Amino acid sequence: MTGTPLIELVDLAAAYGQVQALKPTSLTVAEGEFVTVLGPNGAGKSTMLRAAMRLTPASGRVRFRGRDITRLSTHGRAREGIILVQEGRGLFGQMSVRENLILGAYTIAAGESVEARLEEVFRLFPRLKERFGQTASSLSGGEQQMLAIGRALMAKPKLLMLDEPSLGLAPRVAAEILDTLGTLNRDGLGILLVEQKAPQALRLAKRVYVLSLGGIVAELAASEVGSHHDLSRFYLH
Amino acid sequence: MPDAVQFIQSLVNGVGVGLIYGLVGIGFCVIYNASGIVNFAQGVFVMLGGMACEVLLRKFHLPLPIAFLIAVPFVALVGLLMEVLVVRPMWNRGSPLFAIILATLATQIMIERITILTVDEQPHTFQEFTLGGPLKIGAIAIPYQLFWIVGCGALMVGLLWLFFTRTRAGRALRACSQNREAAALLGIPVGAMLLLSFALSAALGAVAGILVTPMQAIAFNSGTPFGVSGFIAAIIGGFGNAAGALAGGILLGVLQAVAIVLLGAGFKNVAALTALLFVLFLFPSGLFAGLKPKAH
Ligand SMILES: Nc1ncnc2c1ncn2[C@@H]1O[C@H](COP(=O)(O)OP(=O)(O)O)[C@@H](O)[C@H]1O
Ligand SMILES: [Mg+2]
Repeated sequence: MTGTPLIELVDLAAAYGQVQALKPTSLTVAEGEFVTVLGPNGAGKSTMLRAAMRLTPASGRVRFRGRDITRLSTHGRAREGIILVQEGRGLFGQMSVRENLILGAYTIAAGESVEARLEEVFRLFPRLKERFGQTASSLSGGEQQMLAIGRALMAKPKLLMLDEPSLGLAPRVAAEILDTLGTLNRDGLGILLVEQKAPQALRLAKRVYVLSLGGIVAELAASEVGSHHDLSRFYLH
Repeated sequence: MPDAVQFIQSLVNGVGVGLIYGLVGIGFCVIYNASGIVNFAQGVFVMLGGMACEVLLRKFHLPLPIAFLIAVPFVALVGLLMEVLVVRPMWNRGSPLFAIILATLATQIMIERITILTVDEQPHTFQEFTLGGPLKIGAIAIPYQLFWIVGCGALMVGLLWLFFTRTRAGRALRACSQNREAAALLGIPVGAMLLLSFALSAALGAVAGILVTPMQAIAFNSGTPFGVSGFIAAIIGGFGNAAGALAGGILLGVLQAVAIVLLGAGFKNVAALTALLFVLFLFPSGLFAGLKPKAH
C-alpha cells in the first residue's frame, strides 16, 4: 500500500455492558480501495462500523486521511466524507424518495450541485427516478437499499461504508446492487463493505478481513480466499 | 336552556382559544419529535410572551409591532437557554428522558418565580390589536382579536409548514424526528437541531401568549392551564402530529366552551379531562392516527 490510508481504525474496541462485542481491532482502507469484511451473525461487524462512526462508544483511535478524528462527532465524521449505509438502511420512511435524497446532500452546498448529484444518482439507479414522489417505506426491499446507497452518494462521500446491503434481498437484486458498488469503486470511491456471505463481494474486493467473535482472525488478498479451504467453505457458498 | 345565540357565541370563542391551545400543542410536538422530550415548561412560554409584551407596552411605551418583535425573540432566547442550561447537560450525560422531563417542570416553576420577582403577581392584559370591536352579526359578537388569532394562527401554521417542508433546517428537523442516528450519519448536527426545536417551540408559545393576552389576562402562573390544554390538544391529535395538535386544540377549545354554556363554568376542566381520557382509552394514538402525514 502506498501513501496515507483513507481510513485507519486503530485498536477500536466496544462493549455493551459486560459483553465485549468488539475486541481491539485494527483495519485500514486505502484511497480508492474496495475492502470487504466478512463474518457470521453476531461477529461484531455492525459494532465495528458503529464505533467507526461514533454511534457506539468505543476505545481506540480512528484516523481519516492521516488526521486523527477520534474526538469528532458522528455528524462531523459524515462532514469529513465518511458515509455509513446502516444495517436496516436507516431511511426516513415517511418521507419521499426525493426528500431522502435531498437530505443526503445535507453536507454539500445547496442549489445546482444538489440537482447534479440527483442526476448522478438517477443514472446509477433509474428506478429511484420513477419512485421520486413515493414514500421511502412504500418501496420494495431492493429499491429501499438503492435509496439508502443513493442517499449516501448525494453527500459525495470519500469513503462509503455499507453494513450488509444484500441482507434480505433476492440474489439477483443483491447482485445488481453490488455491481453498482463495483462501478463506484472503479470511479475511485473507497468502499468498506460488510457482509455475512457474499461470493460477489469477494470478487469486487481487493482485500478481505474476516471477523469472528469480535476480533479479526484473518486478513488476506481477495484472490487468496478461494484457495483458503476453511474460508471458502464458510463464505463462498 | 341556553339559546342558540349563546351557543354559537360560545363556539366562536371556543375556536379562538382552541387555536391558542393548538399552537401550544404544536410547540410540544416540535420538541418531542426532535428529541422524545415532553417539555412541561411549554405553557410558561405562553405566559412569558404575553408578559414580556405587556411590560414593553406599559413600561416602555413601545408600539405593539415593536413589542411583538422584541418579545418573541426574547422568549425564543429563554427556550434556547433552557436547552443549553437544563436539557443539554442531562441529555449529554445520558439521563433518562423522564428525568429531563421533570427538569423542564422545575424550570417552569423557576421561571414563574423569576417573573414574580421581576414583574409582579398581578394579572396583566393589554388592548386588542385593533380597537373598536366587537363585530356584530345579529346578536353574535365577534371580538376583533379573534380575527387576529385566526389570522396569525393560520399564518404561523403556514410558515411552519413551509419551514418543515421547504427549508434545509426544517427537513433536517423532521429527519431527526424519524431517525436520529440516520440523520447524524448524513452530517446533520442533531444537538443543534434540538436547540433549534426549543427556540422554535418557545417562539410559537410566545406568539400564542401575545395573541391571547388581550382576551384573557396573563399572570405569572397562567402558563400551566395553557400548557395542560396544549398538552391535551397534542394528545388528542396523536402526540407528535402537528396538524393533529392544531385540530385537537380547536376541538378542545370548542368542547370547553360548549361545556361552560351547557353545564356551567365549573365543567370546563371536567370536559377537557374527560375528552383526554376518552381519547386515551379509545384512540391511544390520537384521533387522527389513521391519517398518515403526506410526504412532500
Ligand atoms: N445494543 C446491544 N446491546 C447488547 N448487545 C449487543 C447490542 N448490539 C449488539 N450486541 C451484541 O454484540 C455482538 C456483536 O453484534 P453485532 O455487531 O451486531 O454483530 P454483527 O453485525 O456482526 O451481526 C453480538 O453478540 C450482539 O448480541
Ligand atoms: Mg450486523
